[in-house]
Amino acid sequence: MAKFKMQTYQNLVKDSGGATKENLFSLLGKVQDKFGCVPREVVRDLAAKTRVAEARIYGALTSYGDFKIELEPES
Amino acid sequence: MKESKVLTRRVGKYKPSDLKGYEALGGLQALRRALAMGPESVIEEIKRSGLTGRGGAGFPTALKWASAAQEKQQPKYFICNADEGELGTFKDKVLLDGDPWAVLEGILIAAYAIGAEQAYIYIKGEYEKTAKLWDKLANEAQIAGLLGEGILGSKFSVSLHVVRGRGPYIAGEEFALIASLEARRPMSRLKPPYPTEEGLLGKPTVVNNVETIANVPVILAGGAEEYRQLGVEDEPGTRLFSLSGDVKKPAVYELEIGSGTLQELISELGQGTKNGRPIKAVQPGGGTSALLGRDSLGCKLTAQAISQAGSSIGTAGVIVYQEGKSAVDIVKGLLEFYGAESCGRCAPCRIGVVRMKEIVDTLSRGEGTADDLAQLREIGKASVAVATCGMGQAFPLPVLSALELFPEDFEAAVQKNPQ
Repeated sequence: MAKFKMQTYQNLVKDSGGATKENLFSLLGKVQDKFGCVPREVVRDLAAKTRVAEARIYGALTSYGDFKIELEPES
Repeated sequence: MKESKVLTRRVGKYKPSDLKGYEALGGLQALRRALAMGPESVIEEIKRSGLTGRGGAGFPTALKWASAAQEKQQPKYFICNADEGELGTFKDKVLLDGDPWAVLEGILIAAYAIGAEQAYIYIKGEYEKTAKLWDKLANEAQIAGLLGEGILGSKFSVSLHVVRGRGPYIAGEEFALIASLEARRPMSRLKPPYPTEEGLLGKPTVVNNVETIANVPVILAGGAEEYRQLGVEDEPGTRLFSLSGDVKKPAVYELEIGSGTLQELISELGQGTKNGRPIKAVQPGGGTSALLGRDSLGCKLTAQAISQAGSSIGTAGVIVYQEGKSAVDIVKGLLEFYGAESCGRCAPCRIGVVRMKEIVDTLSRGEGTADDLAQLREIGKASVAVATCGMGQAFPLPVLSALELFPEDFEAAVQKNPQ
């Protein structure tokens, strides 16, 4: 799992041809797989880019078992 | 009873990454033919083939396509539903891993027929390796000119999004799947409007199961008349049966529709029950299909025959239960799964599934009452009657059928109660 860096995330978006409503779910998945969670700043940025409310993305993320909004504490 | 390998004929015959290998085995002929025919003739050919959906509901594929094709709104979307979540069903994985190019060819033909320039494949979260394989496949297809602009030198353009699901069972339901792709909570909704009128991002959308789509290249390559030679008059083709539960040889078997009976599938291909005990009950169409008792084992493997016997062919996931287990425990196992999977949109399912699970738990501890049995029936029937989507309408069916078929098991659970 990579440590979260805004730059790595921005590259991920670029490689996916930008963020749109059409690939938002798949992008969230890629962020989750890369960093082990979808951090707040990503939700904010994707909300702005796709014009989907931040609250709605947050609502979706927290309803799927496989998405995390923060890293699980190391045990 | 013999298998008829049509959809699975190429499985294991070429490396999944090898497009040339696929072409050498007859691949891409159907796509070339489709591009030469034009979209309307493609839909006409599928209509003549009599192909119906293999994801559970069994809706005629050509009707869905025609309804999306006639919509004036743009863009349109095509979604291949590979979120195979139904209990006892694992057939789509065989195609996704074993003959992925055929599934892709089907997706391209479907997108072409309805006029979609964007296609999705939504792969079950647990199928992580499959999703990786498809990521690679999409790249190779792009390089080979099968995705992108001007496919195989035609004017048809389409892109493919490979999306991995993120857990919930209900995301396999078409509206919940669409909601999921829109990055919303996976919830169903009432219809109409149907997805073909108002689907992904409000645009006309067709959602087809993997196995349905794998039939498309077969039909287009050989023609509808040849396809209709397979199966029976009202139900042409083959079906992939996922056989599991208490059998010696659980696996996916491809059978010509109507070519044998449930009993033959279980005793010949499945080599009988695990301990050689008699069969107690069978679910012929996945975890939400009604149980059939021993009397129904002579039932032909067609949708019609199974529905006359009182169940449904659903996803053709045949789950076998041998003697020695109480029906209470059978339904307890099922409700343990479905009890956690309601999307919460409508009350009969959201509350009903949890209440039914609680009652069955009580019964299995021997603490139930006769009232509990009456309630189980009442809640189950209510959800079947008024729930929004297929899950709520179907999860009580195994429970209701178990109450009919094995009342003694339930009464025994009640009698154990010391009061």
